[in-house]
Amino acid sequence: MSEIVLEQVTKRYGRVTAVEGVSFRAERGSFVVLLGPSGCGKSTLLRLIAGLEEVSAGKIHIEGREVTALDPTERRLSMVFQSYALFPHLSVAENIVFGLKVRGLPAPERRERLARVAELVGLTERLEHKPQQLSGGQRQRVALARAIVSENPICLMDEPLSNLDAQLRHEMRVEIRALQRRLGMTVVYVTHDQVEAMSMADHVILLRAGRIEQQGTPAELYARPATTFAARFIGTPAMNLVRRATIEPDARDGFTLGIRPEDIRLLANGDGGLKARVTSAEYHGADTIVTARVGEESLVVRAPGEVKLAPGAEVRLGWERSATHLFDDLGRRK
Amino acid sequence: MKRLIGIALAALVVAATPALALTELTFYYPIAVGGPLTKVVDNLVAGFEKEHPDVRVHAIYAGNYDDARIKALAALRAGQPAQMSVLFSIDLYELLEQDAIVAFDDIGADKTWLQSFYPALMANGTYKGKVYGIPFQRSTIVMYWNKDAFKEAGLDPEKAPATWDEMAKMAAKLVKKDAGGNLARWGVMVPSTGYAYWMFQAFARENGQDLMNRDGNQTNFANPEVISALQYWRDLGAKYKVMPEGTVEWGTLRQNFTEGKTAIMWHTTGNLTAVKESAKFPFGVAMLPASKQRGSPTGGGNWYIFKKSTPAERKAALAFIQWITSPERTAEWSIATGYVATRADAYETPKLKEYVTGFPQAAVARDQLKFATPELSTFQTGRVRKALDDAIQAALTGGKAPAEALKAAQQEAERLLKPYR
Amino acid sequence: MRHVYGWLLLTPAAILLVAFTHYPAVATLAESFFSTGTAVRPSRFVGLGNYAALLGDPIFTQVLLNNFWFALGTIPTSIALAMLMAAWVNGALPGRALVRLAYFTPTVLPMIAVANLWLYFYTPQIGLLDKVTALFGAGSHNWLGNPDTVMGCLVAMTIWKEAGFFMIFYLAALQALPPELGEAARIEGASRWYFFRRVTFPLLMPTTLFVLVNATINSFKLVDHLFILTKGGPDNASNLLLYYIYQTAFSFFDTSYAATLTVVLLALLGAFALVQFQLIERRVHYR
Repeated sequence: MSEIVLEQVTKRYGRVTAVEGVSFRAERGSFVVLLGPSGCGKSTLLRLIAGLEEVSAGKIHIEGREVTALDPTERRLSMVFQSYALFPHLSVAENIVFGLKVRGLPAPERRERLARVAELVGLTERLEHKPQQLSGGQRQRVALARAIVSENPICLMDEPLSNLDAQLRHEMRVEIRALQRRLGMTVVYVTHDQVEAMSMADHVILLRAGRIEQQGTPAELYARPATTFAARFIGTPAMNLVRRATIEPDARDGFTLGIRPEDIRLLANGDGGLKARVTSAEYHGADTIVTARVGEESLVVRAPGEVKLAPGAEVRLGWERSATHLFDDLGRRK
Repeated sequence: MKRLIGIALAALVVAATPALALTELTFYYPIAVGGPLTKVVDNLVAGFEKEHPDVRVHAIYAGNYDDARIKALAALRAGQPAQMSVLFSIDLYELLEQDAIVAFDDIGADKTWLQSFYPALMANGTYKGKVYGIPFQRSTIVMYWNKDAFKEAGLDPEKAPATWDEMAKMAAKLVKKDAGGNLARWGVMVPSTGYAYWMFQAFARENGQDLMNRDGNQTNFANPEVISALQYWRDLGAKYKVMPEGTVEWGTLRQNFTEGKTAIMWHTTGNLTAVKESAKFPFGVAMLPASKQRGSPTGGGNWYIFKKSTPAERKAALAFIQWITSPERTAEWSIATGYVATRADAYETPKLKEYVTGFPQAAVARDQLKFATPELSTFQTGRVRKALDDAIQAALTGGKAPAEALKAAQQEAERLLKPYR
Repeated sequence: MRHVYGWLLLTPAAILLVAFTHYPAVATLAESFFSTGTAVRPSRFVGLGNYAALLGDPIFTQVLLNNFWFALGTIPTSIALAMLMAAWVNGALPGRALVRLAYFTPTVLPMIAVANLWLYFYTPQIGLLDKVTALFGAGSHNWLGNPDTVMGCLVAMTIWKEAGFFMIFYLAALQALPPELGEAARIEGASRWYFFRRVTFPLLMPTTLFVLVNATINSFKLVDHLFILTKGGPDNASNLLLYYIYQTAFSFFDTSYAATLTVVLLALLGAFALVQFQLIERRVHYR
């Protein structure tokens, strides 16, 4: 059974439409990521699910109940905010059990749950601290602890890692995903970072200008982007998108051809392929990102290991025919 | 450095030059009633300067009576020139204690001039037989009555109560209640905030007793006549129910009267013009009623000459004061302000004669002067006055019996005044 | 050399402070040990004589007591009202700017103007208050002329005057609170009242402390209205310490006794500030 179901959800602010006709399902225990560039409506969508905003049209069901008109409280879910939204005057412990106190849980049970959750997120030593005495990562854990201590089956997360540095972000990604699996929570997770989406999600919903551009597993989105927008948004470096005519001179349509940099190989001289001129070669350790010009367009190649190429050098590029993606003149996959 | 000294010397010379050519006088004056009076004062000053080209007069408006006293004394202390001022008539003892003023007898004022003013107005300016204050903007308390209300109550609208008894009886008839039994109009109101002591002086005087002696070091607050005077005032509210109980606000009383919320009010003559302009009914002005005799205190401002002045300046100041209190100027001033003309011959000037004929109410204050008593003024006058004010208010609000309140005030006054005997 | 620059930079402010704040305070203290001098009777040292006179002065006792009731009447109510109004205008409501302006208007009026306005509210018979109560069949009340009601009248007017001012501080503090806190609490199931009690109110504590200190000082400082409304009467029922100081200094010319009263006022205010900062700071959360 689906835990969260959205049907044609629309949100308008005056004349501006932030979310338009969005429908999707999040299965129980799954990790769903709302992905998209800033301003695409993903945070608004999350707030609609939380009940912090009212939908203009459409319906939202949670655990089989229609909650469209219900208060956040009645939706039985937790939320982690981008800013963490910790109460600065309360200690870590008080922050975590805030909701339990609201609901009037008896003190012994509060203590027991607090101890368990603190252990889980590694805050046992910090319970008496105030939020401003903690590092960013620790605050993040407090926010997480507050979300999971309520034992709600659903947890909403709004860009929870965006305020952390790269190293910490990676650790927390792993940790959050592990926690989610362990507790069997259904998580809806908002991010603009496609790495987070690819690495954490069971199901990715890619949003663009308030509408769903494409949804599916990370692998589906990677392997078969439905549009040039999806193609460009997922994968680093982004997929090369060039006019088909550049590569296939016979083509007379306005179609676009897409090839992921990792699918292009540098060929030895004499093997045929496409002639190109190197403009730069960036060494990343495990691989080298080579940018080369073909006619008017420029292609990015991800070559394994170290490749020494001077700018201006001539190279030949080759790829499997199956690795190409074809998009029509409206950007839709053919 | 040399240049600097040069500039300083030049400045000194420039500053000193006019002093050689003519006498400069500066005076402070307060305004306690409505109207564009600064303009009137400026015109008077200009008129004097025209007749006396060797004297230049700077008139400085200084707020109310308290402000004027504070500013004048502060200026003197700071060494700024001020040779004379119009200050509260009852500031006399304070100014004497500060040793700030000179007697007019001592700087060559002639006796006949000093005797040309109403004696009642001279009392507040005289100490131990010498004159220190020349009356200028002076007032008394008068009774205003609403003729329409009198008619409505079946009383003769042209006849004001002449005695306390009459006032209590007439006021009882003048009290009006609305359909719901609530009070719509009081019989009489006497203000008791701000200047309670002043109003009370009238009651005491009418009952045959002044509140202090002429040397300003003895008060008679606990005298039986004084106590029964306060009892009468209290009874107007508590016993006869013709006046609101508690205190009556000085500042809003005029509106109460002009809106018909009280049929009679006691107030300063200074309100005459304002009442004349805002009352929509015919009203009369009368002397205050008598118990044993008629009576009202005087009030207002006198001219003083400061000790810190050169003989030449004193001479010029005297000339100015004599000029501005001449019968013609006095008449002009009285018409412009509503203040009592301070001398009998002013009422003989054609200007004022004509004015009084057209508006006889203006003469009531003058006619009452023969029953007038000086305003309460003693050494330590602020404290003594406050002790009395508090006693009056305590009695009117029912906090203390009149005798008890006045005895306490007298005790306080004794304590304060003993050192001055 | 660096010290010299430091002192040079401090000098202008220091001169102003010493000349206009510290020297007068010390001079006042010194004067309180002398009798008031006049040209006739020069000032002389009386030690604690003025302070002894204070203890035997029934008006002094009364103005202190009056001040206490005045403070107790104005401070908690105006603070609570300010908080309430701020919470009210902080939310989204139509014509919010107008409501804010309306609440703030009494603050920009000078106290003298306010007092003149309220004089006509309280005036018996022709006053607004009596006219309104007359609609319900009540009789005329001599609000300011009765020692039992006069203090209540002053308290009501002062609250009206001050609450809007304090509201501005609360409004600023409320706007600085991140909205996510409220959202987080809503998701946790907290009612508006619970959230106010457990989160907003404690987070407003620094503002409350600031306002409390100001309100206390104001309750001793605001006497302008007495000049218009009651002059401290009837029979000192509405007299306050500072107004009594004014009377003593400018109507009794007893500058030494006025200095003594001023020292008492200063000591009182200093003690209040100290206690308030020390006690409440422990419970205040500064971010």
